Amino acid sequence: MKSNWLYSQRIAPYVFVLPFVLSLAVFFLYPMASTLLMSFQEVLPGQTHFIGWGNYKSMAHDDSFYAALWNSTRYTLWTLVVLIPLPLVLAALLNSARMKWSSFFRSALFVPTLTSVVVAGIVFRLVFGSLDDSVMNQIRHLFGLQTINWMGSSATGMFVLVVLATWRFVGINIVYFLSALQTIPGELYESAEIDGANTWHKFKSITLPLLKPVAIYVITISIYGGYSMFTESFMLWNGNRSPNDIGLTMIGLLYRNGVEQNNLGLGSAIGVALLGTMMVLNLVALQFFGLFKKEE
Amino acid sequence: MPAKKTSSQTFLLFALFAVLAVLALFPFYCLALASFKPSKELLRYGLNIKLQPELLSFHNYSFIFSAGAAKYMDWYKNSAIVTVVYTIGCLLLSSMVGYGLAMYRFVGRNVLFVFVLLVMMIPVEMIMLPLYKQMIAFNLIDSFGGVILPFVVSPLPIFFFRQFAAGLPRDFLDAGRIDGCTEYGIFFKIFVPLMAPAFGAMAIVQSLASWNSFVWPLIVLNSGDKLTLPIGLASLVTPYGNNYDILIAGSVLAIVPIMLVFIFFQRFFVSGLTVGGVKG
Amino acid sequence: MKKRLYGSLALTLAAAMALSACGNNGNNGADASAGTSSKTATSSKATKLVFWTFNELHQKFFESMAVSWNKANPNEQIKLEATTFPYDDAHNKLLVSLQSGKGGPDLADIEISKIGNYLKGEPQLAPLNDIVEPEKDNLVMSRLDNYAKDGQYYGIDYHVGAQVIYYNKEILDQAGVNPDDIVTWDDYEKAGKQVLEKTGKPMTTVETGDQWTFWPMVVQHGSDFLDKSGNVTLNSAENVEALAYLQKLVKEKVAVLAPGGIHHAEEYYGFMNKGGAASVWMPMWYMGRFTDYMQDLKGKMIIKPMPVFKQGEMRSSGMGGTGTVITKQSKNQELAKKFLAYAKLSKEGNIEIWKQLGFDPIRSDVWTDPAMQEPNKYTDYFGKDIFTFLSGLKSEIAPTNIGEKTPAVSDAVKTKAMFQALSELKDPKQVLDEAAASIK
Repeated sequence: MKSNWLYSQRIAPYVFVLPFVLSLAVFFLYPMASTLLMSFQEVLPGQTHFIGWGNYKSMAHDDSFYAALWNSTRYTLWTLVVLIPLPLVLAALLNSARMKWSSFFRSALFVPTLTSVVVAGIVFRLVFGSLDDSVMNQIRHLFGLQTINWMGSSATGMFVLVVLATWRFVGINIVYFLSALQTIPGELYESAEIDGANTWHKFKSITLPLLKPVAIYVITISIYGGYSMFTESFMLWNGNRSPNDIGLTMIGLLYRNGVEQNNLGLGSAIGVALLGTMMVLNLVALQFFGLFKKEE
Repeated sequence: MPAKKTSSQTFLLFALFAVLAVLALFPFYCLALASFKPSKELLRYGLNIKLQPELLSFHNYSFIFSAGAAKYMDWYKNSAIVTVVYTIGCLLLSSMVGYGLAMYRFVGRNVLFVFVLLVMMIPVEMIMLPLYKQMIAFNLIDSFGGVILPFVVSPLPIFFFRQFAAGLPRDFLDAGRIDGCTEYGIFFKIFVPLMAPAFGAMAIVQSLASWNSFVWPLIVLNSGDKLTLPIGLASLVTPYGNNYDILIAGSVLAIVPIMLVFIFFQRFFVSGLTVGGVKG
Repeated sequence: MKKRLYGSLALTLAAAMALSACGNNGNNGADASAGTSSKTATSSKATKLVFWTFNELHQKFFESMAVSWNKANPNEQIKLEATTFPYDDAHNKLLVSLQSGKGGPDLADIEISKIGNYLKGEPQLAPLNDIVEPEKDNLVMSRLDNYAKDGQYYGIDYHVGAQVIYYNKEILDQAGVNPDDIVTWDDYEKAGKQVLEKTGKPMTTVETGDQWTFWPMVVQHGSDFLDKSGNVTLNSAENVEALAYLQKLVKEKVAVLAPGGIHHAEEYYGFMNKGGAASVWMPMWYMGRFTDYMQDLKGKMIIKPMPVFKQGEMRSSGMGGTGTVITKQSKNQELAKKFLAYAKLSKEGNIEIWKQLGFDPIRSDVWTDPAMQEPNKYTDYFGKDIFTFLSGLKSEIAPTNIGEKTPAVSDAVKTKAMFQALSELKDPKQVLDEAAASIK
């Protein structure tokens, strides 16, 4: 065969990754370069020109940049704290033979991601309404607490955001963990039981280590998802306009400057800063988990 | 194990999930209930979760299927086409790339992986304008090709398949080579079946992502009869008032296809189905 | 195996090509209404005009106007392809296509708070002076100035958006307040105290997350967020005075913060529908919210002019709006202009705007037309004299200044100034100074 080299172990990996290389070259290199360029320009219809570091400077002098960075960082931390352990445990429980109606519950927890964002926004805004008769204020009354304006202060606003994110994404993360749980051979548990291990020991010494690769994936996309969050904020405040910017996120800021105020240069600079932040955090995390080692 | 303890644990477990299911389904309950009422009842007295049998009817649904709402069926059909083509293409191509990154040591592997992460994290809002210019150059504006092609080799599933494959025993690779399989044969004949749970998960997640995708299809598509469901539904909400007639019932029906995908593909997660293969 | 691999790649490519080929496959047979491209049936000579909007009612309006245009102009047939996109994204999409110089429509709707973005640099829109100028005397011209730059008009609005106040007559009667006695904001405050005392209900609601409470007050008080040349005047003395007044109403409990923060919140509709407050000031187009979401108030609401700070100030202002523009990219600018003039500047077009959309049209000479008295859902709800009332305000509609900084200044008002002054009760002057300083 004339093209036998295609089958060699040296060439095969390049064939496998070819689709990505092509996609990168055809669709993403130009936009990435162009965005980097725009971040050093003032982009006006028919009058685009270079302004050096101007966009980065005005970004650094803008209080809302730090507000957005702080909000996105807090949100990311909370989702890491909640949205990894919780679905992991739920997936393990759903996977256990003792679980009745497992299939129904998996589906039920998945429904939120499918529920229309527009309509879920209406329901959440009403549940966390500022009036005495909103559901959450009624619950506060049960504990003898006062009515509060949930969406009006930074701490409660963040709380609602995290509740909303948990509601929407628990089902998805369960899917990731459930799929990974299927690769754990059953006899590992059986032999552990013979050795007298209890449920917790089995979880800690078998389940967790074997879930590590997929857990790394979930952590990485959670950092990415946390910093890219915009929809949830938009849903809760009925637009990109929370009081005192308590719900402003990095993408919200990018959207406000780049799109709503049509300053594409500044928007690009914010995007580059955001991308840089996420890449650094993720590369540090992945390095920590040993993902770039020769043998993992 | 004492039977009594088991049954009480089972019950507690069941009760826990029952509570979670109620919380998860509550907004959907509100939505489904509202879809059977005249649309104006939705906001009349704030959040209205009473059943009110006297108000219930199929009117909103029969309206959706009537000629007056022909557009809704177009949106549905378009979303279905895009989702099916995208998901099949995405699973095939991304699993290859992810497998390649996980199983082989080759020059440029880490650089390529960093690019996978980079592309994954690019906010679409940021590259909208230059990517649009490219679509014009490729003559892909206002076509489903323009919606699908830029993202069909998708970094998120590449990463997932890479991680999943990394968790599988490499012995299979060597065994395959000894058996005389080609490198591609090993992937298709040995690893694709082993990665069935990953394919199941990604079929669900990627079809969901495509079904819900909004920002990019909106930039690419121009003609009203090519719009996809999320765009169509969002266009019913305007600063001058919302068209709840189609919005509410339409949102309920929008859940059906991906729910079916979920129910079908979750069989790949049922305990014991694939473990046998992994035992080796 | 190689074959299989290549086969699947080829399959994907083929599928993609087949899909892009779908591009030419129209949906001609269906009963296309809003949201679907409508292709008004015409002869093959008809010129195609593409129209993008964010409101399906606007789409339906233009489609009906295209039908009557084609009847009246058999030699200049139009094939209108109109599409409705979601609100924010319709604007982004238009911006992207204008920035890249390709792929845009012939006609498009732009909401007034977004128009500043399109007037930056060299506007990529066609000037409309030759169709506007002949009609100047019949139009509320301040509404066209909103879409103008350097003497060129770029957009034509659907409505005046005259600012009015809606009173709940039932509550006022219980409190023994006659709305016609309320002329100044001082009268309003006094009446408000009486309502609060007699009924326990607040006189009004104020928005903490939007600008419709504050903006009309300052405009009618002779100020604005921007001056005529587009400089920020958000912290002018008049604005501070108006904000201090609002804060006083809140402190006295005559006004409450709108539940949900804005007058478009679901929580708010329920609150008002149950008779939560005795009045609210919003533009004329807010009538639709009453008819659609607050149907329990039917027959109870009356429309009156806004109170003033001192006698002689204007009692209304033009608030909100959406302009239809023609892009420079359009290959049929002349025909598009003629059609736009027919749809939105002609008498028959303006009467249709009221009938189909329920807006107060920008041609004030039609306000007295008998057609405006014909019953519809608005006259059923508010009585048939809506336009008799509006005609009385014709010369008192204060103009707003719209400029490139409008999106930024609205943002500062929506996210900071209103909330800090009315919810956190911070010093109004300090709040407005800070908000003004935050705008670059």
